[in-house]
Amino acid sequence: MPDHTPQPHARDKLTFLLSLVPYLMDHDRVSVQEAARQFGVSEEHIRDAVRLISVSGIPGDTAAYQHDDLFDIAWDDFEDNDQIVLTNLVAIDDSPRFSGREAAALIAGLQYLSALPENADRSAIAVLMAKLSRGASAAPSPVAVEASETDATLALIREAVAAERQVEFEYLNSRGERERRRVDPLRVESVDADWYLRGWCHLREALRTFRIDRIGDPEITAEPISYRPHDVDIPDALFEGSPEDIEIQLTIAPAALPLVADYLRGTASAPAADGLVHATMQVSHFHAVKRLACSHPGLVTVTGPPEARNVVADWAAAGLHRYDDSR
Amino acid sequence: MAGQGTAPRVPVEERLFSLVLALLATDHGLTKGQILATVQGYRQRFSPNGDNANLERQFERDKDDIRELGVPIETLESPGQAGNNQSLRYRIPRGEYELPRDISFTAEETALLGLAAMVWREGSLSDESRRAIIKLKALGMETVEPVLAYAPRVRVRDAAFEPLRVAIDKHHIVRFGYLKPGESDAGVRTVAPLALVQFQGRWHCCAVEPDTGERKTFLLRRIVSDVSTTGKSFEASTDNEAERGLRELDEVWASHHAQVRVEEGTDAARRLHKQRGAGKTKDGNLLLHYVDLNILADELTGYGPEVVVVSPPDLVDAVRDRLRAVAAAHTETAGEDGNA
Repeated sequence: MPDHTPQPHARDKLTFLLSLVPYLMDHDRVSVQEAARQFGVSEEHIRDAVRLISVSGIPGDTAAYQHDDLFDIAWDDFEDNDQIVLTNLVAIDDSPRFSGREAAALIAGLQYLSALPENADRSAIAVLMAKLSRGASAAPSPVAVEASETDATLALIREAVAAERQVEFEYLNSRGERERRRVDPLRVESVDADWYLRGWCHLREALRTFRIDRIGDPEITAEPISYRPHDVDIPDALFEGSPEDIEIQLTIAPAALPLVADYLRGTASAPAADGLVHATMQVSHFHAVKRLACSHPGLVTVTGPPEARNVVADWAAAGLHRYDDSR
Repeated sequence: MAGQGTAPRVPVEERLFSLVLALLATDHGLTKGQILATVQGYRQRFSPNGDNANLERQFERDKDDIRELGVPIETLESPGQAGNNQSLRYRIPRGEYELPRDISFTAEETALLGLAAMVWREGSLSDESRRAIIKLKALGMETVEPVLAYAPRVRVRDAAFEPLRVAIDKHHIVRFGYLKPGESDAGVRTVAPLALVQFQGRWHCCAVEPDTGERKTFLLRRIVSDVSTTGKSFEASTDNEAERGLRELDEVWASHHAQVRVEEGTDAARRLHKQRGAGKTKDGNLLLHYVDLNILADELTGYGPEVVVVSPPDLVDAVRDRLRAVAAAHTETAGEDGNA
């Protein structure tokens, strides 16, 4: 086990320096602005790095970091024109390889994305994975993610997002009622094996998150979307509360906390004396909680209000009752 | 660090960068003594006649950090001085450091890799994909607009994930408490971890039991203790263990099936029919595949009266027990409920 805390910040900075040098070597002259855009960092970040590179080098024969043993830049160009021109090079010839773990992270990410409709050409992904492996300094570490099946609904929604057209589909709300929804599709999101559509719902006149596997009979309409992705502030959290929400109290076994954390929106606290976490959850309707409680038996228990407990108890009892019928 | 006299403070990244440059530039390698006395960031703190124990420890940590970034550092023994730690020479072999020149990425590939990196938002995988993208950008490919229409995400929330990943990389045999469903006490498992694979949204660790040589797959969310090292290590596997792990889980999935009856028009009907491999039997039941009976039982219990399990009998019992437990836990007076 590592006996010290890693320094992610310093590691990122070192990676950046080792990458910036060969980039600058490949470009005889590049503006600070362009380099900043390429790496997605601020211009000041680039200037700081260039200043550091320009005083760095190797100890050299004299072990004294003589002028020839250091990188050098065209200072006038840099200070007057914000242009970077390397005039003396040391030690570095080429870009660094990926580490085995870096390659593994991208490869596992690609495996996961191979489920996306536009990646139906799996051979292109395989070629890319092989390139990453060959470009790594060690064998990629063994991490893998199963690719989900390419789903027809997902493909249709992607098409609608690209075409900026409204979609219409049937959706079961949390009370189990069917509704025809018309939605501006804005973004497709996923969490592990579950895929979601985030869009502007014309029925509710609000941003809503839909589970793709709950969508039925989807179709692309001829109507263009009325809101574009940057018109709407799409929050990171998949499920947003609304002022009409009701509050439910729950106890959660600590082991189950990661499984339900998304629904709690940060309200969970440390385990109480009984070893359980006491939390509250905002739901649109008491019925929203019955599936959650039943799919975490013994781990998630609704403690209040009584109406919510009744809804869960009735749901479970109705399920049990169906086994009596079948005997 | 405090107490280093009046030497100017050299930033960490400058010291690490200088170390990489020095080790890349040397053909024959540098000894630890040479490095501490001459390389920027060390030399300022080096005392020619004194105790450099702190600085030596600093060098060891820096070496680990640099190796973690995928920079290969080679150690060479000086001729005739085998076993003498002070005469070990360090260098970075250029061929193993540099990205082969024939590797390049198209704009489409770069965009796809950017999306692949986005998948990880937490933990070490997120740090590593961020650094991989920095390296990728150095290759000068036009930065393509990130695909805004997608926000894919794979979670790494199991506490056991990071320690297992370290143990896999270092080939450490580890020990952890594992709670099987239906048991109230966790059993201690000692295993050689081989791969981490996510299958159907859940992380699994593929491992071998060193005592029996038997392959086992563990669900990370059932690891209930810290993962601790045993001080023993195992021989690295040359197989693609991640791929093999996925294949094995897939075989288990394919060989297990359950039959359920679902109410038409319900949430259960819509979602279960869309499950991978779901099919109709000739009696009109829905056929589902699964890896773990208890996980399927939890899922089906969530559907309450919308689904009835027909087979296998173990699954029927598991779902009925769960429904009974949930009903009981929500009918007792509050304050006495909890563990069902």
